[in-house]
Formats: sequence, structure tokens, C-alpha cells
Amino acid sequence: MAQISINKPKRRELLLYIGPGFLIYAFVVLLPIIFSLRYSFLEWSGGKNAKFIGLNNYIELMNDKDFWWALKNNLFIIVVCVIGQIGIAFLLATAMNSKLLKLNRLHRTLLFLPVVLSAVVIGFLWTIMYNKDAGLINLFLKVIGHPEWIKAWLDDPGIVLTSVSIPLIWQYMGLYLVIFLAAYQGIPKDVFEVAEIDGASGLKKMWYITLPLIMDTFKVALMLCIAGNMKVFDHIFIMTNGGPGNASTVVAQFAYNNSFIKFKLGYGSAISIAIMIVSLILIVLSRKVGGKNHA
Amino acid sequence: MKKLVKVVSLMLVIIMGLSLVACGEKTVEIKETGSETQSASTNEAGEATDATEVKSEDPVELSIMHFLVRETGTGQDLTMLDRIDAFLESHPNVTLNQEIMSHDSYEQKIKTLAAANEMPDIFFVKGSMVDTFVENDIIAPLNSALDERPEWKDGFKDGIFDDFMRETDIYGIPFALNITSLIYYNEAILKEVGINEFPKTWVEFETAIIAIKAAGYTPIALGNKGKWVAESCILSTLGDRFTGSEWFGSVKNKEASFEDPDFVKALDAFQGLAEIGAFNDDMNSIDNNQQKTLFYAGNAAMFMEGSWAISSVEQDAPEEISSVTGVALIPSVDGGKGEQAAVSGGAGWAIQINPKLEGAEREAALDLIEMLSDTEAATLAVEANSFPASIPGEYDQTKLTPLMLKVEELLKGVQYTPIYDVQLSPSIIETMNSGLQELLSGIITPEELAAKIQKENK
Repeated sequence: MAQISINKPKRRELLLYIGPGFLIYAFVVLLPIIFSLRYSFLEWSGGKNAKFIGLNNYIELMNDKDFWWALKNNLFIIVVCVIGQIGIAFLLATAMNSKLLKLNRLHRTLLFLPVVLSAVVIGFLWTIMYNKDAGLINLFLKVIGHPEWIKAWLDDPGIVLTSVSIPLIWQYMGLYLVIFLAAYQGIPKDVFEVAEIDGASGLKKMWYITLPLIMDTFKVALMLCIAGNMKVFDHIFIMTNGGPGNASTVVAQFAYNNSFIKFKLGYGSAISIAIMIVSLILIVLSRKVGGKNHA
Repeated sequence: MKKLVKVVSLMLVIIMGLSLVACGEKTVEIKETGSETQSASTNEAGEATDATEVKSEDPVELSIMHFLVRETGTGQDLTMLDRIDAFLESHPNVTLNQEIMSHDSYEQKIKTLAAANEMPDIFFVKGSMVDTFVENDIIAPLNSALDERPEWKDGFKDGIFDDFMRETDIYGIPFALNITSLIYYNEAILKEVGINEFPKTWVEFETAIIAIKAAGYTPIALGNKGKWVAESCILSTLGDRFTGSEWFGSVKNKEASFEDPDFVKALDAFQGLAEIGAFNDDMNSIDNNQQKTLFYAGNAAMFMEGSWAISSVEQDAPEEISSVTGVALIPSVDGGKGEQAAVSGGAGWAIQINPKLEGAEREAALDLIEMLSDTEAATLAVEANSFPASIPGEYDQTKLTPLMLKVEELLKGVQYTPIYDVQLSPSIIETMNSGLQELLSGIITPEELAAKIQKENK
């Protein structure tokens, strides 16, 4: 007869289990942050000569219009991507769990495929698609008889941020779809049956039952989305390099430009620390969404 | 059965993992030894499998990083690749690890390596990188190396070292004299709108552009995604038309300012071109190779690029385009203080060695650089329709294409003015380049751009 016993690991065992993972984490994540902090107090162009200048980098950063502009771009992308990635993923997950969509497995796989593609590949693909003369999008507009809608998608400073957000949404909505589908599994079926008996329709079911029950997952997804989009760099770097001018420069690109193009590594480090602080603030704020509750 | 499935799946995973590792590198690594009859064969992972070397001297291993890509290279690039092969033949004891990538990728990578102080043995530097590299001891003066080889030193054209000299120290060996600002134009399109001779003044130029646009062509194809075309190929000369070269020297000494009215007038004229629709809408999302494609397709009347594009036009343009391509300088401006028939030109890029090299390695590295920039290299370069940094020997006139002859004719007696991104600091250049994208898109005014650039010139 099988006997199931639950052993709570002793303290030493616990440390041994967590140890290696934590060491790697400390080396790859924590140590560079500490180094960045140290560099951010220097005026340094990469070689042997570094001058200690205290908080000057941060003061310059506060007054740097380009930094606040890049931050505004990031916030715009976050808003668009929360609505796009999480919004669309949530709707799709709901549709998949109702009787509306067939071939769930196929849809799930196809939607998740872009997530595993490299950001650089996606950047190049979409650059070609957005090309004014030969790109797929403008070609499509010509074919359906609306050539007046043709724009220079990556050149017009007014729409470049939106153009650049679309590949981001396309790539990652599969990720959130899978997260929400998993969350759906955690809701007991009886709740829905009771609701249907009481006469709740699809939309009401979603708003009053599903959403509150997966609120925890929702908050985690929100946090991932915000953190991910504060870091976004590769796609935009490939598509527009921050251009035209600064129109699509995000904070990570701004840090890169200052560090490796202008050789102001001390200032670039200060920018990186600032990005980290702003991200933490945003995430703390996001956890207040939906009222305060457990975890 | 279960065990078999497990074993097979494990094998599949390992094979998949290995195949992922071995494929798709952005940079090409070539390991070449000098034995020409039995060349060391390499697989994608870059391991030399066999090499019978004739060891006459001690074996030397050097690493070089460059952007000379055989498939897309200009005449100059191909000449240099041939010279590298010639070096390997004459130096059988040298193993050369080449890391090759595109020009724009190279610019990014070399700066990153410099920040980490992990330079290859031999590499290329751009004029604007010199100050930062010298400050951080990435590069050292090469005066002693040149003095040890006087024939080589004397073979260089006058003043070619200027872009890479600081006081009396020479910080790079140039290999090409690049004119960065030529207007390549389609004579047939211009004739179509009634222009039989290329406009000589700025006012005529703008009139021509308006006429060309009305006829349905893109007047000037511009591919400014890399941000340097607008500044290097247009503003460097246009700016000088208004300000004169003396002003540029003063700006470098911080005695003059980018906010001086003459420079602002140049920015204004540049923005004026954008305002009358001279450029293609997607100027900031295509690069300098794609701008030429617009020209080759007959959709654009002109494009502006440097002397390196001559061989590209010869190689890549269809016959009906290359046979009607003419070259011109930027037209003169009214009341400009500069020499109106000058053009921006200079050494552009130069070759350097890692200062840590010594002994046999240093000698071998210098041998390679000498072979890339000596009289023989110069002769081959001219025959490939390029402008080398050294004085060529007797060259075969018949190898020069009609376009090259036109350019030589155009440049007779022309003065050279400084190229901005070869002589100004990276910080100023980045601000200027990004700002020019904004200027041409109409986001900022010339005065605002001048102020932005001046802020970096402190």
C-alpha cells in the first residue's frame, strides 16, 4: 500500500535547493545593477579614465527633455500594449472557453508561435511589410482599392509609435492567451452552471464572474506586460532605430544611444537606474488595480 | 517500450540543440592560413580541420574585424579583400581570423568593444572615434611604424593623414580618399523636364526639383535610416557653402558656435528642400543601398552619396540607367562664405592595430596594413574605379569606366572641405544626425536644431 508522507525540507536542504538558482540570479541580475549604480556616479567614456561626479548625472537626467520624451513614448506603448496584448488575449481566452470557437488546440498553437520568434526577425519582417513602395500593407491597401490610405508607416512621426507597437502586440498576445487559458482551468465549472441557471448571458458572465475570479492572474499579466514594455528595445531598434529623430525613441534605446553611441557610459548607467525605479513605481501602482486584496 | 521512447526523445532533443547552436551567425568568421595549395578547410563553427604550414618563421595568429563584404562590396572593398589574400600568400606563417559584418553593424560593434576594451588585433576606426579612443588608450600613435617604412609613408597623398592627426601624432592609416558628397543624376529625366545642364546655383536647383516632382518623379532619393547620409553626404558640403572651412576649425576649438547664423542658414536651406518635396516620403526608413535602388529603377532623378558609389552604379545599375548617369557637385549658394566649388572629402576610415601587439605579431599586422595601403593597392584601387589614399603607380586607363572619368574630370582643381562625422565628437554627431531626421520631417526648426547641437559642443 502506498503511503504518502509530506516532508517539509529542513532549512539546510531548502538553502541547497534554492542556492544555485539564487547565485545565478545574483550574478546575472543583482550584480550588474550594483555596478550600474556605481557607474552612474561617474563621468566615464568607457576606458580607464573615470571621474566621480556624484549626483550630477541624475540632476542632468531630471532636466533632460529627451529622457521625459522617451518615457512618454514608453507609457504610450504600455497603454497600447495592455489594451492590445492583454485585452485581445482575454477576449480570445473567453471566446475559446465558450462554445464559439472550434479547433481550440490549433488556434492556441498558431497564436503562440510568434512568441518564440526572435525579436530581431520580427523587426526585420515588419520593416519589410511596412515599406512604402513594396511592403505588404500598402500593397494590400492598393489591392482593396484604397490607395489614399497609404502612409509612410515608419516615417510619419505621428503614427510611428503605433506602427511600432503593432508587431509587439502581434508577438506577445499568444503568451497572455496561454496564461489566461490556464487561469480559466482554475475556475470550477459549477459556478458557470449556476450562473446560467440564473439567466446570465455571455457578456455578463465574463464581467461579473470570470473577471473577478481570475483577477490574481490578471494582475500578474498586467505586471508582466508593464515590465516587458518598459524594457522594449530590440523591435524598435531594428525597425526605426528610434527615428525619425526621437519620435520612436524608448528609454532603453535612449540609454543605448547615450552609452554606446555618445560614449557617455556614466550617464547611460544613470538612465538605466532611472528606468528601474520608474518600472518599480509603475508595477506597485498596477497592483492597486481592482481594489486591494490578497497578494 | 517506454524506455525506447525516452531514449529516442532525448537523442532528438540533443540533435536539435546542436543544430541550433551551429547555425545562423550574423558575422562571418573565416580562419585562413597562408598555405595556398592546401587551404585549411573550415566548417561553420570555424574550426580549422587541416593545415600543412610551411614554417619559415614562427607562426603568428592575428584577428581582424572589418566591413569588406565580398558580395556587396564596392570596388575599393574588393581590392582590399584581394590584398588580404595576397598578404596571406606572402605570409604563410600567419593565421588570420577575419570577422566580417556590414558597415552599419561594424560601427555599432566596434564602439561596444571599445567600451569593454576588448579590441581585435587589427580594426578600422572612423575619424569621429579617434578622440574617445585616444582618451581611453584604445589606440596609439603610429608615427614610429611609418618612420620605420619610409617608402610606404612617402607613398601617401598630401594631407591624407589630417583627419587622423592630433598635433603631430598620426592615429590611423587611411586607405581611401572619400569624396562624400556627389550628386548622381539621371540625365534623361532632367532632359525630360527641360533641363539640359545640371543647375549651377541653389535657386536653379530648387526650380529643377519642383519641375521634376511635377513630372511624377522623386527628385532626390534619400535613404537616411542609418542617420549618416543626410549629414555626411549633404550637410558636410552644404554647410561649408554657407560657413566656409575656417568656421569649422573655430567650432572645433569651441570658438565659434553651431548657432552662428551661417550654419543656421545651411540648415534652413536643407529643410527648404524637404519642404518643396525633394525627398521620398520614407527617407528615414530606408538605407543608403535602398536609395540607390530607387535611382536604378528610374523612379528618382538623383541621389546623393560619395565616391564609393561609383563602382556600385557600374555594377548594379541597369544599362539604360548607368549610361545616362552624370555627376555634379552641390550647387553654389548666394552670399555663402565658403569656396563654392569645394566638396567634403577626406580619409573617412583608417586602419589601426591594438597597442598591445608587439614583436612578430606587430610586424605582421603592420605588413598587412602596408599591403592594404601601398602603391600596389592604390593602383588596383584606381583600376577598380576608386580613390585610394596613396599615390597609384602606372594604371590601365582603359579599366576606368565612363562614370569614373566624369568624376575625375569634375574633381579637377576642387578643394576638399572637412567631413563632419570624421572630425566632430560622437556626441555632437549623434545629436546632429538624429536632429537632421527631425529637421527633414519638419518636427523642429533650424534654430532649435542648432541649439541642440551646440549644447553638445561644450
